[in-house]
Amino acid sequence: MTNSMKGLVKALALGLAAACSLAAISGASAEDLSLKGKRIGVSAIGTDHYWDLMAFRGIQDRVKELGGEVIALDAGRKDQQQIAQLQTLIAQKPDAIIEQLGNLEVLNPWLQKIRDAGIPLFTVDTATPHAINNTTSNNYNIGAEIALQMVADMGGKGNVLVFNGFYSVPVCKIRYDQLKYVLTSFPDVKIVEPELRDVIPNTVQSAYSNVTDMLTKSPEKGSIGAVWACWDVPQIGATQAVEAAGRNEVKTYGIDGSPEVIKMVMDAKSSAGAVAAQQPYEIGKTSVDNAAKYLAGQKVPPFTFVPSVLINKVNAAEKGKPFLEAAEKAGVK
Amino acid sequence: MSATVLHGEVGVSDEKQAAAKSAGRRFGALVVRLGAIAAFAAIMAYFVVFAPGFTSTFNLINVVEQSAILGVLAYGMTAVIIGGGSDVTEGGIDLSIAANMGLCAAVYATLLSMGYGDFLSVLAAIAVGMAVGALNAIAVVGLGILPLLATLAVLNVAAGMELTLTQNTVVGASSPLLGLLVSGSFLGISALAWALIVFSAIMIAVIHGTAFGLRLYAVGGHPEAARAAGLSVPFYVSFTYVLSGFCAAVASILTVSRLSASTPGSGELLLSVLAAALLGTVFSRRFVPTMGGTLLSVLFIGLLANGFQLLNVSSYWVNGVQGALILLVVAITSFARGSEGSR
Repeated sequence: MTNSMKGLVKALALGLAAACSLAAISGASAEDLSLKGKRIGVSAIGTDHYWDLMAFRGIQDRVKELGGEVIALDAGRKDQQQIAQLQTLIAQKPDAIIEQLGNLEVLNPWLQKIRDAGIPLFTVDTATPHAINNTTSNNYNIGAEIALQMVADMGGKGNVLVFNGFYSVPVCKIRYDQLKYVLTSFPDVKIVEPELRDVIPNTVQSAYSNVTDMLTKSPEKGSIGAVWACWDVPQIGATQAVEAAGRNEVKTYGIDGSPEVIKMVMDAKSSAGAVAAQQPYEIGKTSVDNAAKYLAGQKVPPFTFVPSVLINKVNAAEKGKPFLEAAEKAGVK
Repeated sequence: MSATVLHGEVGVSDEKQAAAKSAGRRFGALVVRLGAIAAFAAIMAYFVVFAPGFTSTFNLINVVEQSAILGVLAYGMTAVIIGGGSDVTEGGIDLSIAANMGLCAAVYATLLSMGYGDFLSVLAAIAVGMAVGALNAIAVVGLGILPLLATLAVLNVAAGMELTLTQNTVVGASSPLLGLLVSGSFLGISALAWALIVFSAIMIAVIHGTAFGLRLYAVGGHPEAARAAGLSVPFYVSFTYVLSGFCAAVASILTVSRLSASTPGSGELLLSVLAAALLGTVFSRRFVPTMGGTLLSVLFIGLLANGFQLLNVSSYWVNGVQGALILLVVAITSFARGSEGSR
């Protein structure tokens, strides 16, 4: 080993040690966090989806763990209701507000009002300039990883059905943009136009009929290689449609890691190709830790990424298990 | 001859019995009605005492603001029920009103985002709203379809058109009018709250202060008598559906201002609109829908959600309580209507 290489290794080792100790320090401070006597407002656009429910629970559980009081608001997927709840919440003057998902265009003026009222704002999975911290998965990674997995499974060519109904939701925008970026390197993979629209509610049924229609329109085997969605509920409908049509050459891809979808990916016979599984409960908890740190006068970064795992046909049995166990523990099937 | 007399006597005693029965029911209805109002008052009193910040001016103005969209829609629904009669199955009802608002909001936001000014965009939204109302009128008055079914069909037409227009996406919108509605205020009351106050004043004045309003009640209460008195029943009924469409259009502009966009899912409001219009009947002695009653129940629904949040009671309860109240009121109204024995 030459001297310079030795130096490099030493520097790397030092860096690693420093990183570890940093992690240890932040870990230690997380132990001392407290929200005693603090009221934390939590506003979620809806909790009808596994991800939303787990993150919402993670937030509430962590606030209570830290001794704080939660004002938990679920808008039931109604923008009007979420705005009304935020408006009343501002009047309640909690010590901090954690906002979880929703339409950014609708929310932004109201998030601004939260800051104008002097209330610290934290967000879960919602990138906005008004938040002190946004806790989320690394959606840039997720978007690229799932797109690359799809391209690999397709052998670098073929047609993709893409659900793009929620481009106004920030995380979906990132994942979709990453998909497009990856595809610039693979010109033989083409998105079928017009793109499909995923909807809420009736997501599964609607995805099922959309994909069935498209498969009927392109009856030759191999004319469609994959279905992509920025979350995994449309993926459920798409997978069922592909299987019902007997078109098992079509694989489906999605993001979130609902237990139902992880089970599909684990099933060798299922057409679900891969799913990027996030840790919504951890994301919720981490956002509360960030709020607690901020209220204790500590510095908080503008965003925190909680690790996610790409579960595909090869690693599903091993990587999927802990996620299913976590879901079971939380009492969600 | 004697048979006729006998028959007459039987008829009289029947009538007496019926009258006694009807008086009893009327008394029962009165008790239940006062009971319902007392329940409303008790809930409010509880909030006043226990919900922190409930009575602050700021909070109350917030609630008025939050009730504006629901209020404007509920006035449309109330007008339709007044003109079509308040029989729940065969009377006037406009199930399309919330979906119509969604369509108008989509038209308004889309035109704004295409660069048309407020004037044209507002005009277009109102034209679309009234056109959907006119479609209801044609189906109900022209084709004689039950309002419940006719407006259900039109609901689907409006929702489908909205989806076609927006592709189920959020359409962002900003304009001077929207800016004024969002941030304008006068005498410490926000523009949106003013919108509800002014609209309420107009509706109450038109429906309860003019001969036109009185005739509308006549048409809804007893169409045959109204026709015999020379009123054009089809005209009045048609008018209520077009008015309802107009209300949907006005509400759509308020909704776009509040959400800075047109968003899918407006149809969700229908249950609250129906609840407001039906709950409002409790505030009238004869259990008929009134604009004032509707206003009170709209504010009550707004205060209910607000009070629960201030008390930190789960928002899931609001829907349950709202549903229970509708059930209660519909039960009371059918009970009271039985006493009139007109239908």
